[in-house]
Amino acid sequence: MAVPVSQAWTVASYVLTQKLKGRKRYPLVLMLEPLFRCNLACAGCGKIQYPAHILKQELTPEECFRAAEECGAPMVSIPGGEPLLHPQMPEIVAGLVARKKYVYMCTNALLLKEKLHLFKPSKYLSFSVHVDGQREHHDFSVCREGGYDIAMEGIRAAVAAGFRVTTNTTLFDGADPNSVRAHFDDLMAAGVESMMVSPGYTYDKAPDQNHFLGKAKSRRLFRAILSNRKKSWQFNTHPLFSEFLMGKQNFECTPWGMPTFSIFGWQKPCYLLQDGYADTFKELMEETAWENYGAKSGNPQCANCMVHSGHEASAVDYNFSSLKGFLVTARKYMFPSAYPDPDAQKLLNEWRPEHSGPLVQIQSNNAVNDELQEVSGD
Amino acid sequence: MATEQQEHLKIEQLRQHNADEIETIAGREKENLEGWIPTLASDAEVRDALEKAFDYRGDVTITRKDGSQVTGYLFDRRTGSSLTDSFVRVIPTNERVKVNVVYAEIAALAFTGRDNAAGKSFEAWVKKYWEKKVAGEKNIRIDPEKLD
Repeated sequence: MAVPVSQAWTVASYVLTQKLKGRKRYPLVLMLEPLFRCNLACAGCGKIQYPAHILKQELTPEECFRAAEECGAPMVSIPGGEPLLHPQMPEIVAGLVARKKYVYMCTNALLLKEKLHLFKPSKYLSFSVHVDGQREHHDFSVCREGGYDIAMEGIRAAVAAGFRVTTNTTLFDGADPNSVRAHFDDLMAAGVESMMVSPGYTYDKAPDQNHFLGKAKSRRLFRAILSNRKKSWQFNTHPLFSEFLMGKQNFECTPWGMPTFSIFGWQKPCYLLQDGYADTFKELMEETAWENYGAKSGNPQCANCMVHSGHEASAVDYNFSSLKGFLVTARKYMFPSAYPDPDAQKLLNEWRPEHSGPLVQIQSNNAVNDELQEVSGD
Repeated sequence: MATEQQEHLKIEQLRQHNADEIETIAGREKENLEGWIPTLASDAEVRDALEKAFDYRGDVTITRKDGSQVTGYLFDRRTGSSLTDSFVRVIPTNERVKVNVVYAEIAALAFTGRDNAAGKSFEAWVKKYWEKKVAGEKNIRIDPEKLD
């Protein structure tokens, strides 16, 4: 089991309660963004591009608690920005834990080691460290040489101090499945509880608007990565979401499953897509034109999306929507499959790193030489 | 939500291919709006300009018909059936409040703030990386901009 039994039980009983109450739309995870400020400047990020006066603002602990209570989801993910830059983050986390929310504090871990003493280990708290691949891949992804080493040091320190530590890996065009699999080995060896992996998505406001995987390439990449998986690998994603990434399941988006709250209010419709803001959670749920989102809607902004914030909640909803769904999921949890797949192994063996993506250029001598010639010729 | 013009590469791609068969998604074309002062002669121009302001990654300045101004980040817009029941929501540069401005009250709009994400693509980072590497630098990185 990749999450504590108490957490699985809390989530299962919460979802069943929503179903019994006949709620068609219900939140599963609150994405709480207490600030947009960050100590990294990743090209693919859509959260750090705001003007300075916006980046200086932050939610108060009281605003965070009110959002958690208003929303009612059993899990709270705290992305950002970098949450550890918020001076009251320990108070926010402690307050959410006191409310028995399962908190995933998303961090790039640059400050994790030095701020660890401000937090208390708890079954309700997990540090979700963002590591986008092995050293070269991660450093290029976050636009900072040395970022990987600091993040891994933070992970080891948090594990040693008795915290739950999970990881989050986002993949872009140019990702090498063999390297991602080696990355999983590295993470498990560092003692992380479980891992999450998801394709990147074009944030409207991110500096980088290219290098995002289409669905065909995503499915091939994730089939290569997640088939023939090792027993040592633990994932904290729903098994059916994992199959969705591999092209074995088809889910529509559930944009209300992971609602986002920030200094702007409740983001319409989802964590990734900005189409305005609601002042209350009720307004978000009742006045958002949900039919305009998701691949089925024909909205070009949703056509390519396969990310967990839109589709993992769909997988969870599926397994509580019918007896068949429940039994299928229960079997997958009790008897996890390694997804043996000779064709996927062949795909993995024959995969050649591409030189078009920015994340692999450092690894290729040809690419390095081409790049050096281009630079020296400037 | 971007205007159709801003989304046109993706829309063109989807017109020609099934989304399930696309290998790499078309990049989005970002207009250079910094410093732009749109004409607001017709209702359609007002709506289009405010949609672009909503999509913009920097501050804007709105001048109301009574001569008063608000400069700040336009984070939301609510579009109704007419300009009198449509409004934008702005967080001014100097205070933490949300100011509503009705479309019909707007006399002028200017994209006065810097586009904070322009020119910061992965390609730009890779180019900068190799320039610095060739110059012998270590611990090469792109730091977030100073906030003060």
